[in-house]
Amino acid sequence: MKKFFKDAVGHVMTGIGYMLPLIVAASLVVAIPKIIALCMGITSLDPYAETEGFTHILYLIEQVGWTGIGLTNTVLAGFIAYSIADKPAIGAGLIGGMVASNTNAGFLGALIAAFAAGYTVKWAKEHIHLPEAMQQIMPLVICPFLATGAVALLMGVILAGPLSFINASLVEWLRQLCTSGTSQLVLALILGAMICSDMGGPINKSAWMAGNVLMTEGIFQPNVFINCAICIPPLAYAIATTIRKKRFSADLYEGGKGCWVMGFIGITEGAIPYTLVKPQVLIPVNMIGGALGAAVTCLLGATAEIPPVGGIYGFISIANGWAYLVGILAGALFIAFVSTWLVNFNVNVEGDSPDISLDDIDIDITIE
Amino acid sequence: MKIVGISACPAGLAHTPMAAKALEKAGREMGLDVKMEQQGSMGQVNAITPAEARAADFVIIASDQKIQGMDRFKGKPVIRVNITTCIKAPQAVLTKCMQAMEGKK
Repeated sequence: MKKFFKDAVGHVMTGIGYMLPLIVAASLVVAIPKIIALCMGITSLDPYAETEGFTHILYLIEQVGWTGIGLTNTVLAGFIAYSIADKPAIGAGLIGGMVASNTNAGFLGALIAAFAAGYTVKWAKEHIHLPEAMQQIMPLVICPFLATGAVALLMGVILAGPLSFINASLVEWLRQLCTSGTSQLVLALILGAMICSDMGGPINKSAWMAGNVLMTEGIFQPNVFINCAICIPPLAYAIATTIRKKRFSADLYEGGKGCWVMGFIGITEGAIPYTLVKPQVLIPVNMIGGALGAAVTCLLGATAEIPPVGGIYGFISIANGWAYLVGILAGALFIAFVSTWLVNFNVNVEGDSPDISLDDIDIDITIE
Repeated sequence: MKIVGISACPAGLAHTPMAAKALEKAGREMGLDVKMEQQGSMGQVNAITPAEARAADFVIIASDQKIQGMDRFKGKPVIRVNITTCIKAPQAVLTKCMQAMEGKK
């Protein structure tokens, strides 16, 4: 069971890996025409659907971006299924994800459809044995058909009603969370801490994923906190190397330059080499910094009317953009000061971390 | 001892090359021939050729994700390791894998 759970997380992570470039690109294609329109004093492009001229062109471009965002569940489910059972499962996964979107079964439905598709193919490969001459039709006909059939029964007939009810209630609950002040602050604290906990790992990606799922439902606020927290750790260590050069080894000092870039465009992974110097102290420091930054952004009243763009320059997509910048700076300065105060980075980072013994390393051997 | 491997992480930006380089470097220090392929956001980097795959004693997969081109390693022992552990303690990972392979013989 433990192994099944671990595998399942791996499959979901693979799906997210394939979905990531899609959603990043699509939200940029939505945001850019929106921002141009905002500069022209237009808050919504929808009235320009039937008009002509420049604003209509902006509208058309924005619509293409939304098509991309609308593909989130589809691509996610397709590639989770692919991760489980290779090519024969992709089709059923894509279909399942699309059905999940269409029946309002949402992200939850997409996950269920993906696992149904993947494991049906896996089961069929292991248990259905055809005569030699008919073997070729397994991957092309039998497996995809069974998987798609399973998805049709599960997503189309059995679960469509209950899932859309669960999804709708969940979305409504989160929407309320985002409108009330106190719960919005709690949300900011939790998301900020999650993003800065394992920087690019499963916890970070879960928070990021939650933000993107809500974005497809038209709830943009959580992404403000997420994007804010993402910039904090790399920016923090960039500032730290600048203000307290003596506390860093030559390698880590040089790395600080890369951190400016990572912080600017919003890649938490930039902070990993620094955090690894003393993770037991620095992970909590990073998490507090992330939570603090997101909370400051929240309290100063940064809100999102359009899909927020990541990175420091993302402030242009946010109402009260200065609140976003102040939040990032607050979190980054906190980490920069506290980390250099608690930890000496002027150590030789070559070789193994001493905290890991051979017994702690989990390996899994199979014959391919 | 010839070792080949593949690293991969969800974003394919930082963990993937970090783990690959850490293992290759640890291998050099331990006198082992380690070659790591990176399956990151830029597709395959430093790809393992079929000949290299055949010559290898075992395969390290530093990932818990889907890996492309596993058919290259048909019949080879494949060891899966957590990618973060490979970054933190590459030498210990290689030692542990070597021990495990000794135990199999």
